[in-house]
Amino acid sequence: MTVSSMTTTVDRAVAQSRVPANPWGLVRRALVYVLLSLAAFVSIFPFYWMVVGATNTSADIIKGKSSLGSALITNATAFFTQVDAVRIFWNSGVIAVVATVLTLAISSLAGYGFEMFRSRVRERIFGFLLLLLSIPFAAMMVPLFVMFSQAKLVNTFAAVILPTVASIFIIFYFRQTTKAFPTELRDAARIDGLKEWQIFLYVYLPVMRSTYAAATIIVFMANWNNYLWPLVVLQTAENKTITLILSGLTAAYTPDYGLILFGTVLATLPTLVIFFLLQRRFVEGMLGAVK
Amino acid sequence: MIRTTSRWRNTLSVALTGISLFSVTAASAGEISVWVWDKAFNGDTMREAGALYTADHPDVTFNVDDTASQDDIRAKLQTQLLAGSTEGLPDIVLIQDDIAQKYLQSFPGAFEPLSDYIDMSVFAQYKVAAATHDGKSYSVPFDSGVTGLFYRSDFLEQAGFTAADLENITWDRLIEIGTEVKAKTGKPLLDLDLNDTGVIRMMMQSAGEWYFNEDGSLHITDNAALKKSLETYAKLFQADLVKPVSGWAEYTGAFTSGEVAVVPVGVWITATIKANADQSGLWGVAPIPRLDMEGAVNASNQGGSSWFVLSSSDNKEETIDFLKTVWAGNVDFYQDILIKRGAVGSLLAAREGEAFKASDDFFGGAPVWQNFSTWLSQVPSVDYGTFTAEVDSAVQAQVPGIIEGGDLDAALQAIHDQAQQQMQ
Amino acid sequence: MAQARLDRRENITGWVFIAPALILLGLFMIYPIVWSLWMSFQVGKGMNLSFGGFANILRLTKDPVFLRALGNTFTFFIFQVPIMIVLALLFAVALNDSTLKFRGFFRTAIFLPCATSLIAYSTVFKSMFAIDGVVNQTLMQLHLIGEPISWLGDPFWAKVLIIMAITWRWTGYNMIFYLAALQNIDRSIYEAARIDGVPAWARFRYLTIPMLKPVILFTTVISTIGTLQLFDEVANFTAGTGGPSDSTLTLSLYIYNLTFKFMPSFGYSATVSWVIVVLVGILSFLQFLIARDRRTS
Repeated sequence: MTVSSMTTTVDRAVAQSRVPANPWGLVRRALVYVLLSLAAFVSIFPFYWMVVGATNTSADIIKGKSSLGSALITNATAFFTQVDAVRIFWNSGVIAVVATVLTLAISSLAGYGFEMFRSRVRERIFGFLLLLLSIPFAAMMVPLFVMFSQAKLVNTFAAVILPTVASIFIIFYFRQTTKAFPTELRDAARIDGLKEWQIFLYVYLPVMRSTYAAATIIVFMANWNNYLWPLVVLQTAENKTITLILSGLTAAYTPDYGLILFGTVLATLPTLVIFFLLQRRFVEGMLGAVK
Repeated sequence: MIRTTSRWRNTLSVALTGISLFSVTAASAGEISVWVWDKAFNGDTMREAGALYTADHPDVTFNVDDTASQDDIRAKLQTQLLAGSTEGLPDIVLIQDDIAQKYLQSFPGAFEPLSDYIDMSVFAQYKVAAATHDGKSYSVPFDSGVTGLFYRSDFLEQAGFTAADLENITWDRLIEIGTEVKAKTGKPLLDLDLNDTGVIRMMMQSAGEWYFNEDGSLHITDNAALKKSLETYAKLFQADLVKPVSGWAEYTGAFTSGEVAVVPVGVWITATIKANADQSGLWGVAPIPRLDMEGAVNASNQGGSSWFVLSSSDNKEETIDFLKTVWAGNVDFYQDILIKRGAVGSLLAAREGEAFKASDDFFGGAPVWQNFSTWLSQVPSVDYGTFTAEVDSAVQAQVPGIIEGGDLDAALQAIHDQAQQQMQ
Repeated sequence: MAQARLDRRENITGWVFIAPALILLGLFMIYPIVWSLWMSFQVGKGMNLSFGGFANILRLTKDPVFLRALGNTFTFFIFQVPIMIVLALLFAVALNDSTLKFRGFFRTAIFLPCATSLIAYSTVFKSMFAIDGVVNQTLMQLHLIGEPISWLGDPFWAKVLIIMAITWRWTGYNMIFYLAALQNIDRSIYEAARIDGVPAWARFRYLTIPMLKPVILFTTVISTIGTLQLFDEVANFTAGTGGPSDSTLTLSLYIYNLTFKFMPSFGYSATVSWVIVVLVGILSFLQFLIARDRRTS
């Protein structure tokens, strides 16, 4: 969408509806708050239940108690006795961080490349990749396992990370957001004599930081919660991730829900921290970053 | 600018070395690894067995992994067997009896025929039969799934019933009792998960039937026991005696928090019930009701699992010797795991031990283990076949309609058709 | 958006940018894909496989469970994706207004569901929608229903529950993409429009939507794939059965069952997987086509 076409759209919109300032503005504002509050309440409730559950005994949780309890220490002790927490969180952390960094680097390069340097062949490849995105993972698990087994990489973090880093999903995302990247910036940089990789690193990357922020959250979360592949490829208990461990705890004959909810709260924290740290990026405009 | 790029390069190189650092430590020789799915029950039981063996064989150590669920174990095992990669597979894996045949037939050669080394006649025969394929037995039986009707004696008492009223009754009689109990206490008789056909299967097996004929073909439309089971199942709902639940947490939650009066279930639930120490003395166990038909008995089975040895094991000799010494020979061990874990093993000789004769105050001082042993000997032996999961799924599809009063014969026909289609 | 032909150097640069991704994808996807395509022509159980030609495709057309799963998956797709996309867009636009108070709080709150663990969320949902749960009690007190709804026991309501659950979980997730994209829009255009007296809805319709179109297209395609691969919710809410009466059975859950629960039948489950690929291919093509049409008109 070019600037000129945008202005004509605006002109058309203006012509179509030359109405004075909406007298219902206040009512509408109130309505927005009510709806957002409602959505916030519905969204927070299960999270609240999870946090409160971590302070209750298993029996109380089953009875549906939803107020703060006094079993937090008991649950924490039980969790840390039963789960080698430092090791398990370290595993999850290393996998998620390394995978996120590599995914962002490789996939954003590709997304940029597909959009900025279009050619018929690459368009075909891109269309093909989109199709591949839809193959259910279960269909590819056995051959992938064969490959990693032959490479003697079974039960390593590399086996968990490597298949995820070239993410079609994230390539697609970067390609779509790159459409909003002003080509004038690139042209200006070229005139200044910057090389293509410099343009990517010093012009594109800072400008697109809200996109990178969103992608970081999404990719980190996906890797942190990744289940089926790590389940199959990580075999010894000391190499497992927190997501796998929690799933195993839930499947016990007599699950200790206090312990499990304490674990799930801990397991949720990293994603939330990353969201808190990055959410400011959603407020800053792209063009502000360039100025 | 230069600093930024070098920082990038550093991050990447640190990341890459990170990956290569975390490589595998393969299971060392002399270590027997085991996959189980419940820490407190089969995990600790296996650890205890391992400790016994290590005491006499200090060079053998055990690595019991209880961090995966049963579904997860199936997914892992199946992916690896199909990929033809045995690296990382354990020496011993626990498998539930009703899916054993599926594995034995799908993955020939993957499991070690244990009847070549261990005398199988020392175990409950219906357990051995579940893992026998082409004349060889592939498992050392672990826990029995013999069923009982666990009940809240206090609720029944309020409605004027005693333990004797639950002995040798039919499901129809239980429905009458349940109606009374509900009228007096307001409690539903039992809780059932619509997505779990366990109780239907339990009823059917108590009449000595299963989904299949001897030749493996479907036994559905002409299966009187299945028809009667579905009818009884529907009656429970129609009499408004069921609290419908969804999932394991709600299922166990309903009876451990005193919302329902009875639980017809396998003996392995004992630990879950006894976990609520404040309910001690309020529980009893009766034989399960029988179907109102010829050949039905007051005993059945639900679940139960066995130990399988993978042919790929590096320590096959020690592994089999371990199973033979402890699991097929140590009667005291079985007393121990019964007391500590509530695990009713399948070694016949173990039943004569002290623990099995003891009474339990939690269940009002009744000799519950003795009772379970008696019922165990009455469990009709059935052939679980290879397609139980497929037929279960077909039954589940018809259950809501049956509860609403749908035609039973039409439902059986539909189950047959769907299962037939799935069994390819 | 006509683009001038790339010169040779630019063409090579284009390849260089996508090369790392292509190499990795080639390494980790080509073999598995060829393998699963080959498998879809195999019949048999476990490791006892033989070439079956089109037997699996024939089996598909006669499989009532597959047809049910296909129907359910489509129902989820048709109702859930539009509701979620519209909601996410509205939340994003509302939260992008810099004069709004408590923005940070609302943003975090609406994002929370996708970060909440599946275990916690499915447990809470199940207990809230249990027969004697808080939802039924509220509805009865409001006299909206005469007797409790069996949310997980009734085929129709179970579907409704699943749609509500996925919408709850993924709306905030989609909102992130929109929020990020809204930052890439030049604020001065909005300012100009506001000064010219363009009402809010018109700014939304004629400025926001067109500028977000690439990202809307992205989220639509992603949500389509996500819904066609729907597994977590149905598996957790129904103990992996897709019940009651297969009313919530999805293609993905069926594939999982065929692979791990039933007699292992990899050939057939691979065939069902390829059905999803074909469906996504058709749907994505349609979505791109619609997006393109609007662009030219």
